[in-house]
Amino acid sequence: MTPAATVEERATRGEPAAPPSPVRHRKTFAPLVLLAPALALFIAFMAIPIGYALWLSAQGLRIKDEGIFGIRGEVFVGFANYRQILSDGEFWAGFLRLAAYGLIAVPLTLGLALLFALLIDHGSARFKRFSRTAIFLPYAIPAVVASLMWGFMYLPSTSPFSHLTEAWGLGTIPFLDGNAIYPSMANIAIWGGVGFNMIIIYTSLRGIPAELCDAARIDGCTEWQIAWRIKVPLVAPALVLTGLFALIGTLQVYGEPTMLAPMTTEISQTWVPLMQIYRDGFIRDDLPMAAAGSVILAVGTLVVSLILLKATQRRTSGGMR
Amino acid sequence: MYRRIRARAVALMGAAAFLAGCSGGQAEDGVVTLDYWCWSQSMSEKVEAFNEAHPDIQVRHTDAGGGGDSSTKLLTASRAGNAPDVSCVEYQTIPAMVVSDVLADISEYTGPVEDAFSPETWQTTRFDGQVYGIPQDVGPMVMLYNQRRFDELGLEVPRTWEEFAEVAADVRERDPSSYLATFGPTEFGNFAGLAQQAGASWWSVEDRQWTVGIDDEPTLRVAEYWQGLIDQDLIMPEPLLTPEWNNRVNQGEILTWPSALWAPGVLFGVAERQAGDWAIAPLPHWEGGSQDVALQGGTALTVTKNSEHPREAAEFAMWMNTDETAYTMQIAAGQYPAAIAGQQAAAQGPPPELMANQEDYWQVATEAAANTVSGITWGPNVNTASDAFGDAMTAAVRDGTGLPRAIRGTQDTVVGEMERVGFDVVE
Repeated sequence: MTPAATVEERATRGEPAAPPSPVRHRKTFAPLVLLAPALALFIAFMAIPIGYALWLSAQGLRIKDEGIFGIRGEVFVGFANYRQILSDGEFWAGFLRLAAYGLIAVPLTLGLALLFALLIDHGSARFKRFSRTAIFLPYAIPAVVASLMWGFMYLPSTSPFSHLTEAWGLGTIPFLDGNAIYPSMANIAIWGGVGFNMIIIYTSLRGIPAELCDAARIDGCTEWQIAWRIKVPLVAPALVLTGLFALIGTLQVYGEPTMLAPMTTEISQTWVPLMQIYRDGFIRDDLPMAAAGSVILAVGTLVVSLILLKATQRRTSGGMR
Repeated sequence: MYRRIRARAVALMGAAAFLAGCSGGQAEDGVVTLDYWCWSQSMSEKVEAFNEAHPDIQVRHTDAGGGGDSSTKLLTASRAGNAPDVSCVEYQTIPAMVVSDVLADISEYTGPVEDAFSPETWQTTRFDGQVYGIPQDVGPMVMLYNQRRFDELGLEVPRTWEEFAEVAADVRERDPSSYLATFGPTEFGNFAGLAQQAGASWWSVEDRQWTVGIDDEPTLRVAEYWQGLIDQDLIMPEPLLTPEWNNRVNQGEILTWPSALWAPGVLFGVAERQAGDWAIAPLPHWEGGSQDVALQGGTALTVTKNSEHPREAAEFAMWMNTDETAYTMQIAAGQYPAAIAGQQAAAQGPPPELMANQEDYWQVATEAAANTVSGITWGPNVNTASDAFGDAMTAAVRDGTGLPRAIRGTQDTVVGEMERVGFDVVE
């Protein structure tokens, strides 16, 4: 056998199986080929932008002595942007506002979604398809449109509710003043979000074997007990999923306050973290600062999501057993 | 409000601008193609007229959104190296654009239009002999008032701010559902104009050394004046041009709007039914003070550093704002031209629809334009100032902490940012 003999030659000559190296080569190559499209997309649209954001957040626009006013140019500033934004009370106040809003919006959205899902899933429910569509419909309306619509319903001189209360001599309802802004804004999110969450929970409910409920009924369970003791624990994973979505959604609230801002003095340019990031990037023309804010928000979201998953993991799997 | 909706489309527009930028430049037949961004209404017709008159320069017009959006996109596009050749920029944003290295100095081309604008108008785009734009429209401040309601309530038009406060009290007494005016806490340009009228100088620069006077004595005096009116419930502190405000205007519950010569068109869009009811009067002045008023708003056509054809771009910008065909169209669309000849032509025409019954409309307007405060410099971070001002004033109105304190807070934010960025700010 000459050193130049190829695998094919050896195979045709009936020589023993080729050394393992080409096989190993094929083994490592195939997954790469199969992964390539996803990997390319991931690198192009996730890894590179994230890397760019990280790099950008360490830059700063500083003045160079040129021209009549000076010229702004990018220079490396290390963690200066992070220091600035982490010491900015407004940024943290934004998270506090998010918390107040989230404490109203998230439990109510999930609670109502679960309630509606259970009601529709109930054997004797009527008009199932209609109810499902009617509850889901608001989800199809973009947040911008929903916020504008609700905004009109909140403003004293255009609000039908205030119109009624005024006719009864009770004055207008201050939907957009003081702390009322939190429930008013949460209401928009709840109105839009219940349907989506309901569908997820409902789908999960449909997956519960009918025998389980039948067995419970034979054992003398009331419908209420079936719902509470059997269905809810079994859809717990769906609840965790919707809870996670709701949490991430809360951290990324932007559309509703932005749309309501011109209608009330209650909402500042920095009312929630994303609004501040937008302002830094596009109103103050300070993209590096916006990048730093985004990185902090993303890391925060990741940490909170992991804590939620960790905390619920034990309970949900415990419920399954 | 639409500004914010549009903000979401920034990314999309960026992509569009990128595509547009790829295909600019000079064709083989010697025709120069220019890209042009502007949001005003009469733009398409004016551009068409220019293209017809200039076979060797063809301009493609894009509406990239109102003042704020357009400047955001211009900055982004400029960094990417594909800004349009010519773009509309609001006067107050021009220094910021110069600092961001977006705009080109076109002073070598602007000799022919040297005398087309008043020195006060030139001060908005010319710094130290360098020209960064051709002024398009100006907004000398005037007071719009609902004449029908004034007559109904038997009110006199106030000539001074002292009288303005008295009339405000009369309004509350004679019709408790109405207010003489609204104080918009986010109306940065408006408040800047009121402060300038009182003698404020918010920014000045010499040898790249900046002085910031947002909390100077005249500004604080104006802030105290409005705070007094708010405290006594004589005016309504509320955002302007919201559905709520528009509704009140339509009900005849807001009697004046101290603003500028572009306002009749805006208000007509809000309260079409009140056409003919309104009139303009000179903006009230301070007793014993000068009768001069500030300019509020207004835009210039600027040439970008990205442009490969600055000569043609400058020629286009000059034609658009000094040619008779152009300003005739501009006047028809309800703008008040920056060019002296345009202003004279406007004065020959009928008043805007909202003021259809006011015979001396143009007399009042021309007088306001002739008495403008000179020597106004905008800062390199007006966007930060405007934004900090809006938030601070809104909080002050909401929490009752007082407008003067908000003004001081704005000063601190603006100076703080300028120092952080590396400007030389002197006390």
